[in-house]
Amino acid sequence: MKPLSRAAFLSNFPTALGGTVLLMVASLLAQPSSLGKPGPAPQQMQKLTASAIQLERSDPPEDLLIPEDTRVATYENVILQLTKTKKFQRVYRSGDRTAASVPDLVILRLIPQAFKAGSQKQREVTTVTGATSIKVKIQFASRDGKVLREKTVEGKVRFYGENLRATYDLAKKVAAVVNETF
Amino acid sequence: MRTRSAEFNPGVSSKQRKIGRRLLQLAGLLVSAIGVVFVATAASGFSQQLATPQASKTTSIPHVKCVIGLENIKPNTKGTLSLLPDGLEFATGKNKVDINTASIQDIFTGQESRQDVSGPVGTVAKAGIPYGGGRIVSLFSHNVEVLTVEYVDSNGGFHGTVFVLSPGNATVLKNQLVAQGAKVTNHVQPPPQEQKP
Repeated sequence: MKPLSRAAFLSNFPTALGGTVLLMVASLLAQPSSLGKPGPAPQQMQKLTASAIQLERSDPPEDLLIPEDTRVATYENVILQLTKTKKFQRVYRSGDRTAASVPDLVILRLIPQAFKAGSQKQREVTTVTGATSIKVKIQFASRDGKVLREKTVEGKVRFYGENLRATYDLAKKVAAVVNETF
Repeated sequence: MRTRSAEFNPGVSSKQRKIGRRLLQLAGLLVSAIGVVFVATAASGFSQQLATPQASKTTSIPHVKCVIGLENIKPNTKGTLSLLPDGLEFATGKNKVDINTASIQDIFTGQESRQDVSGPVGTVAKAGIPYGGGRIVSLFSHNVEVLTVEYVDSNGGFHGTVFVLSPGNATVLKNQLVAQGAKVTNHVQPPPQEQKP
């Protein structure tokens, strides 16, 4: 093969450089985002231990209006999914007085961050719009109020299913975070 | 020609007048009978509308979907929601769950719409229609009412239940529960979710 002359090298260099930059950008964009998808836990993060967990209700900020059926469905779905993890001997509901006697109780708070009400009809007709999403910050805290771990997750329903299915999706993701934390 | 002869024949014209009068009388009777039937129908319907909210002790609504929140009832189970003198009762073929009025902390009602063809089978059927016909089917929907009841158990633990009912029933149940003494607070209602086409 004939080696490239200096002029040919200089003319190809910008193209090669542009291609390299594009590949780097594409690989960065292809990285899975940590939002809503609980990835593998960092190695230095130690797992927590607790025999019981209590799910507390948290009111959303005043400027964030969430329908009450969505809030209730989120709460109940998370209770169901927490029980399914089998990580705790007991899952207590908010306000349960019997939780006061548990020594190593962990309190789980779901703090609403964002909510977008979609439309089932719009989703099914267009397939690209009308998604319902709800984003919450998960906070594990000890009884004395010390925050042990925090993470933000997002539940969505994109294509088929009723709007309340977003709360089921959210609860599954909360359960995944619980599994990696305990 | 006959007309002219009839005009000049007084006997024929009197007969025609008699027939005309009888016809008019019959028509009047018919109209009044129809009116009586309409009034009776409307009165019975109106009395039913008035009677429904007052029948607080025996209100029973079939085909209610419990979306989530009742112990021993799987999510999205259909059953009969009844108003008892001391609260609500949701009954399926096997299970029965009661919510005492005294334990109710809050009640919410809201309106949504549901697809006429939905569920796993409906979704597969819609996907199977060629040339995007499933999207046309997705345009058909019906309105439903959502009843959300928040209550506490004997230990003070918070529970919430979401029911989906046919339009109008949730508001009636809420009013009846409030009349029984259930607690209700005023809330800012977010805009309905299904306003977009």
